[in-house]
Amino acid sequence: MSLLELKGVKKIYQQGKIEVPALRGIDLTVEHGEFTTIFGPSGSGKTTLLNMIGCLDTPTEGEIRLNDKKVSDLSRKALAMTRRFNIGFVFQSYNLIPVLTAYENVEFAIRLTNHTSESQMKEKVLKMLAEVGLKGLESRRPNELSGGEKQRVAIARALVKEPKLILADEPTANLDSETAADVVDIMRKMNKELGTTFIFSTHDPMVMKYAKRFINLKDGMISADERRG
Amino acid sequence: MFSFKLGLKNLTRQKRRNILIILVIAFAFSSYLLMDSIMNGMEEMSFDNIKNYDTGNIQVAYPEYWEDRDELLLENLIYLNQDMEESIKNTDGVLGMSPELRFKANLNNGIDEVAVRGVGISIEQYNEVFATQNFVVEGSMFASGESKAVIGTSLAELMDLKVNDYITLLVRTKEDTFNTIDIEIAGLVRAPNPMINNGIVFVPLDVARQALNVGNVISMIALKTVSGDEDTITKTLTDSFKSKNLDLKAYSWKESAASVIALSAAKKGGIGAVLLVVLLIGMLGIINNVILSALERTEEIGMMKALGMREWEIVFVFMVEATGIGILGGLAGCLLGYAGVSRLVKYGFSIAYMGDASEFGIPILDRIYGAWNYPAFSFLFILGIVIAVLSSILPSYWAAHKDPVKAIYHR
Repeated sequence: MSLLELKGVKKIYQQGKIEVPALRGIDLTVEHGEFTTIFGPSGSGKTTLLNMIGCLDTPTEGEIRLNDKKVSDLSRKALAMTRRFNIGFVFQSYNLIPVLTAYENVEFAIRLTNHTSESQMKEKVLKMLAEVGLKGLESRRPNELSGGEKQRVAIARALVKEPKLILADEPTANLDSETAADVVDIMRKMNKELGTTFIFSTHDPMVMKYAKRFINLKDGMISADERRG
Repeated sequence: MFSFKLGLKNLTRQKRRNILIILVIAFAFSSYLLMDSIMNGMEEMSFDNIKNYDTGNIQVAYPEYWEDRDELLLENLIYLNQDMEESIKNTDGVLGMSPELRFKANLNNGIDEVAVRGVGISIEQYNEVFATQNFVVEGSMFASGESKAVIGTSLAELMDLKVNDYITLLVRTKEDTFNTIDIEIAGLVRAPNPMINNGIVFVPLDVARQALNVGNVISMIALKTVSGDEDTITKTLTDSFKSKNLDLKAYSWKESAASVIALSAAKKGGIGAVLLVVLLIGMLGIINNVILSALERTEEIGMMKALGMREWEIVFVFMVEATGIGILGGLAGCLLGYAGVSRLVKYGFSIAYMGDASEFGIPILDRIYGAWNYPAFSFLFILGIVIAVLSSILPSYWAAHKDPVKAIYHR
């Protein structure tokens, strides 16, 4: 059973009286544990596709199945629950909560899903922060962290609830090349160690070289889908 | 619980704006508390001044006299016999009684003349009921059996009179003939009730009776009673008169002070309007704050939705923050109000600049003191929280209802 299946997914935005097609019919299957990159020029539909996969948006036409469950026509509440338990997000601009420490930003995500004891939860958060190389920085607030450290917190936040799928929209776009390489390394390590499926959009060739599968989007359609051994 | 913690932590963001809103709420709340204190103080003082210097707690008169009592007619007067006096005195709750004979008079100082209200009193009984004697600023109240008068300082000033000066009161007798009372001034009073100071001349009851040629009668009897029991005592007295086939009736001071009570009620209506404005200010502050916070944190809201937070959970975060502002604003308002009201209660403020306040229907001389109204503090504080919660619901829901994609990418 595939983790993710998209069949004939189309997304059309209405801008006044004009219909703007963002996705023109995407057929895609993603298996468990894949490390996939979606690339393509600006306006090719990368972010729209990630939003569809991440249950943040619903397609105008077509079907999306996550873990063999149809998610493309769920209610807002059901979509929120699907995101809560199955999907982690890493954003280009980190989107951390500035009044919370690194520890609390990660704790925030796990508290939405976890029903284990306080001590187990704490252990898990600290372990995840250590995994992404932030041991000792747990009590720092986002404004006391560098860009790379912030993105690590965001990755830990996405991973801590052990989702089946992590979606990252241009995760290295705001980082210098060295920090970007570190961040991608961490994602790859988590992919290997935890078997979490990663799908990320990027323009960055350095990020692309780590990917095992490349999906090229052009004008809202998949123009190439290649795997590397 | 985490949403609660996040809501509280969010209070530390945009500190300046939050402090400003808290101060606006605090200012509005404390202004209300100060106004409420002044209104209550003014009401208490007005009522005390009516009871202690004008009407006593209860007045007894014939209904026909009572209806036209401001006319000061020498009709429908009471013949006060020993039996009636004992009966009134022995009524439960009655602490003192003062027979009065009220009449129209013109005060002449030899040059000028002014219309006044003459009041014939039995000085010992009068002092049992009224507190005027405590405010004699020059000379003294006349003694029992002494044929002297007491007037207010304002009237004395107006007529250029001093203690030991002689005045002439021009009166009309019961038969409508003119008569005069030539009498020496024993003392000048400056009572908290401006009416006493401005236009009343107190003379001994027997002097008034003789000059008016009315015999052994009085206009009314003023009673001092246990405070708060006026209604019960009024009813007991009226029933007692009825049982003795007397047409007399007892009237609570509230009936004499109907116009002041109506004015007080109108003022309370006014303060209700102030409360509405105060709450509106609080509501607008909270709504404005939630909307601005939501606009500033659009991406954060998108992230929360991406993490799978439900709308009510996001609403809760914003509501906790708004409620926190309401609580802090309410607390600060109550503290400021406490400080202000303490000062008002202790020192009051002068209304001397208004001139004669009685012209505006306020029977207070020159200084108004505030009064404590503790329930107003808790009422306002709780109301502040309720308003904060209620006014934050819609903007919080608006924030939480944002489309996650538009929120994340701030479109």
